[in-house]
Amino acid sequence: MIYSIKQEFFKLYHKKMFWLAPIIMLVLMIFTGYAIGSDEARLTAVMCYDATDWITFILIVIGATSFSMEYQNNAILTLLYKASNKIYVYLSKYLVLLVYDIFLHLVAVGYTIVLKGFLFKSNISWTSINYYHQPLWVNTLQATLLDLAVSMLIITIIFLLSCLINSNAVVMTTSLLVVLLGESISSDIMSKPKLVSVLKWNPFNMLNLSRQYGNYATYHLTTHLSNVELLMGTLIYIAVFFVIGYWIFRKKRF
Amino acid sequence: MKNSQEVLELDNVCTYIGRTEIVKDASFQIKAGDIIGLIGPNGAGKTTVMKTILGLTKFTGKITMSGAAITENNHHALEKVGALIEHPAIYPFLTGEQNLELYSHHHQDMVKIISELGMDSYIKSKAKGYSLGMKQKLGIAIALLNNPKLVILDEPMNGLDIEATIGVRKLIKKYADRGTAFLISSHILSELQKVMTRVLLISGGKIILNQSIGQFEAISHQKYKLTTENDEQAEHLFKTKGINFKKQKQYLIVGQEDIFKIQDELAKKKLHLKEMLPIEANFEQIVVDTLNKERD
Repeated sequence: MIYSIKQEFFKLYHKKMFWLAPIIMLVLMIFTGYAIGSDEARLTAVMCYDATDWITFILIVIGATSFSMEYQNNAILTLLYKASNKIYVYLSKYLVLLVYDIFLHLVAVGYTIVLKGFLFKSNISWTSINYYHQPLWVNTLQATLLDLAVSMLIITIIFLLSCLINSNAVVMTTSLLVVLLGESISSDIMSKPKLVSVLKWNPFNMLNLSRQYGNYATYHLTTHLSNVELLMGTLIYIAVFFVIGYWIFRKKRF
Repeated sequence: MKNSQEVLELDNVCTYIGRTEIVKDASFQIKAGDIIGLIGPNGAGKTTVMKTILGLTKFTGKITMSGAAITENNHHALEKVGALIEHPAIYPFLTGEQNLELYSHHHQDMVKIISELGMDSYIKSKAKGYSLGMKQKLGIAIALLNNPKLVILDEPMNGLDIEATIGVRKLIKKYADRGTAFLISSHILSELQKVMTRVLLISGGKIILNQSIGQFEAISHQKYKLTTENDEQAEHLFKTKGINFKKQKQYLIVGQEDIFKIQDELAKKKLHLKEMLPIEANFEQIVVDTLNKERD
């Protein structure tokens, strides 16, 4: 297992995207900071200048190629026979992407501190009381942790799709559609009031977790779930999609 | 350092893709230092046999590597196996050296293989710019890393130039002399013939022959060409007595297995042999004949 993880880190570390992603993210965060301006200083700080969205896009690009590069380079056979069990191949890829996800979120928090302190100065301090009667720094950390859970769900969906579809372009497009249209798909699903109590647990709804944390009043009307319920749903769907993804991977012929 | 230590054993192995049986009841052993040539027509099941050994397919029966069982979900026994299946497993965004580092446990071992395969000049450049032959050599290098006990090579000479082919052939022999066993499939039979010590012939998923190369060439399939004082009469005689023969120019070509019967029958008919000479074994023809015989 450790051998498989080391291999995955080695490959990720040598990809250009690994090093470019934090730079691209910084540029986009600065752009967001200027675009939104100082009116929403609290929200931009909590949401790390929208870094959460940029991280999602980066993860989709890297995650979608994670399996397809193995198929395209015929490396999947070598990976599979070198690993003592098939699950190690799947799990190591997932863990490495998760670690990279955590790394990007930490970088985003770091950038936020620097940008707020030097580029987008405001009167709002990190210790000032903000959402949920908590200091701003607590809000930022909680929002980051919740976004980490949502991005894990997205990684799980990308892996599931990668096991069903060999083309990284299709996986990438489908994942982007899920992320971009998830909210409206979820709203459409819940259009029948009688079934809302059940349909509010649809997986697309869970993608609203971090957005709802930063804007509860608006998003709760759409999701019909509390933050805690959304988090529970997200974690359950991570487990379910992970198991289904691995089952498909195990059954796949190489 | 050749010895008779058993490296791999397949015992009544059947491989399935879906419900279709691809490999049928395969049983054979590979010993340390063996170079096994796995030969068969397209679709005979060569690659499937290799994938099955690597635990990549669903199978019944038993596969053991140095006594330890290999299953679809337990590959611990494959730690000392290197393989090149179908195409070399190479990441184009890594250099050749990094591709090797990915699998190598010992740096010195890696440096030695790079030098042995003559890859020093391009090993530090990105693999995306490699030619087919360069990729193939890198794939072979990956298979030879970490002192494997068994190396499985599927069409290893694909894309290699003459110099590289000779180099790879020498390297295979060198590793085999140290005790590494090889299972090699190739369509270039003449190349395979130069290195292999045993022949495994597969047809329709069944292992139809498992012999040492010496036995295969010299005993089973030696052909003779002969002429008699009356070939027309001899032909008629062979037909009536069920002796297989082929007419080629002025000669009648017959198998070694019929020689005593031919001499006996000709003597009974008082037909004198004018000439009878052994034909140098053409390996490719022998393989084709054996496969045809099996089909009949």
